[in-house]
Amino acid sequence: MLCRVVSPMINEGKALMEMKASFSNVANMLLDWDDVHNSDFCSWRGVLCDNLSLSVVSLNLSNLNLGGEISSALGDLRSLQSVDLQGNKLGGQIPDELGNCASLAYVDFSNNCLFGDIPFSISKLKQLEFLNLKNNQLTGPIPATLTQIPSLKTLDLATNQLTGEIPRLLYWNEVLQYLGLRGNMLTGTLSPDMCQLTGLWYFDVRGNNLTGTIPDNIGNCTSYEILDVSYNQITGVIPYNIGFLQVATLSLQGNRLTGRIPEVIGLMQALAVLDLSDNELVGPIPPILGNLSFTGKLYLHGNKLTGPIPPELGNMSRLSYLQLNDNELVGTIPPELGKLEQLFELNLANNHLVGPIPSNISSCAALNQFNVHGNLLNGSIPLGFRNLGSLTYLNLSSNSFKGKIPAELGHIINLDTLDLSGNSFSGPIPLTLGDLEHLLILNLSRNYLNGPLPAEFGNLRSIQIIDVSFNFLSGVIPTELGLLQNINSLLLNNNKIHGKIPDQLTNCFSLVNLNISFNNLSGTIPPMKNFSHFAPASFFGNPFLCGDWVGSICGPSLPK
Amino acid sequence: FTGNKRFGGLGSSPPTCRSKCEKCQPCKPVHVPIQPGMSIPLEYYPEAWRCKCGDKLFMP
Repeated sequence: MLCRVVSPMINEGKALMEMKASFSNVANMLLDWDDVHNSDFCSWRGVLCDNLSLSVVSLNLSNLNLGGEISSALGDLRSLQSVDLQGNKLGGQIPDELGNCASLAYVDFSNNCLFGDIPFSISKLKQLEFLNLKNNQLTGPIPATLTQIPSLKTLDLATNQLTGEIPRLLYWNEVLQYLGLRGNMLTGTLSPDMCQLTGLWYFDVRGNNLTGTIPDNIGNCTSYEILDVSYNQITGVIPYNIGFLQVATLSLQGNRLTGRIPEVIGLMQALAVLDLSDNELVGPIPPILGNLSFTGKLYLHGNKLTGPIPPELGNMSRLSYLQLNDNELVGTIPPELGKLEQLFELNLANNHLVGPIPSNISSCAALNQFNVHGNLLNGSIPLGFRNLGSLTYLNLSSNSFKGKIPAELGHIINLDTLDLSGNSFSGPIPLTLGDLEHLLILNLSRNYLNGPLPAEFGNLRSIQIIDVSFNFLSGVIPTELGLLQNINSLLLNNNKIHGKIPDQLTNCFSLVNLNISFNNLSGTIPPMKNFSHFAPASFFGNPFLCGDWVGSICGPSLPK
Repeated sequence: FTGNKRFGGLGSSPPTCRSKCEKCQPCKPVHVPIQPGMSIPLEYYPEAWRCKCGDKLFMP
């Protein structure tokens, strides 16, 4: 009486077994996918069935380290609403049959190794709301037919190798909220149609090959919260209409934008991040940017900006990152920057700034990185710097600073880089620098420092590079330097150091770059361990040093 | 969220977050980093405004 019919459920079990067969590395992960010993596929790992119809509605095999390919049998799971295969090592192509799963609302194949084209059949998925294919190796164009999916809210195709243009039709979608296309090879221009995406909050085409200009009507994209067109080849000026945007992040860096920074940007108080760096912008930094009292990150570096640093920037009370380096800024560092209590990084390197560092800068209690390399600054190091307890990176190199190196620098205990090179500092090296136990790089080269190399440097247990070359240092090489187990470069050349090379230096096993040339060293070069690797150039110019090179007092060849 | 409509519609302001956190109080606007893909070391994430109450976030 009971008539056995082939139910769709049984087909789905077969389909799942076919899928398993085309995966690899399933041994441990899909152990319970076994229709011989357990035909109830609804109980299998990652499988979720509808309570009534017992057909598969959800398949979640994310982060199981699966290899192999996605079988076309996926298309037999006709009731599937959600499929999540992200975070595996799946190769092969996305099967065309995916388009047969007409109920699919959620597809996540991200973080795999899928290649080939995005199948046009995806556009048959009329229920699809979420499509994430990012971080694969997909090629070919973005199918224009994706625009036929009426309810698509999230489209993330980032970090693939997609080519061609962004289909203009894609922009005529009122429900799309998230468009992630970063890190592909897309060409063409930004279409004025992009502002037809009236429900979109995330627009990201960073790192493609887009050309042309920012559309003049960009201000119509009023739903955007994040606009990232960085690292393309966008040209032209930043349009005035940008001031109509409501964005929290405006990332235009790494393009070829020209002209001035429009003053209207100073009215965009919703900006949390403003990045205009690495373009070809000219003219001054508009003082009205000081109005951006909610902005945390301001990046204007790598342009051709001229004029002074506006003191008004000191009103950007939430600012934590201020990078104005690599421009053509003139004038002095405004003391008003000292009002920036949350400032974490201040980079003013490679400009034409003059005058001293205002002592007010030491009020920036949160300051972690301070870089004024390559300016025309003078004066001495403000004593208040000792209060900058959070400082890890201090670079004052290539300026005209003078005076003594304050002993108080040794109190900035978190420093990992201290670069004072290429200035006119004089006097002795403070012994307190030996207290900087986290210091990795110490560069005091090309100054007028005298006195001995402090024995306390033996306490710099993290140090990798010590460069004190081109000074007037005297005394001997402290034996304590032999304690430095992480040192990679020790550059003492072009000083007036005398005495013998301490044998203890041969205990510095990580030392690969030694230069003690052009001093007054004498004795012999320790003939052991790592010292046999150093070239004669490391030792030249010490007339009383005995070594294995032509012209040495013991040369040309030392008997072994 | 609603923008600042001074200057003929130019410019913007942070969200006010007034009654955006359902019944939770106080409801404050905060910057939230949005992770755009694989994490890229040493690079900052884009940020968006959200309304925060306690440790809960709400759309402005």
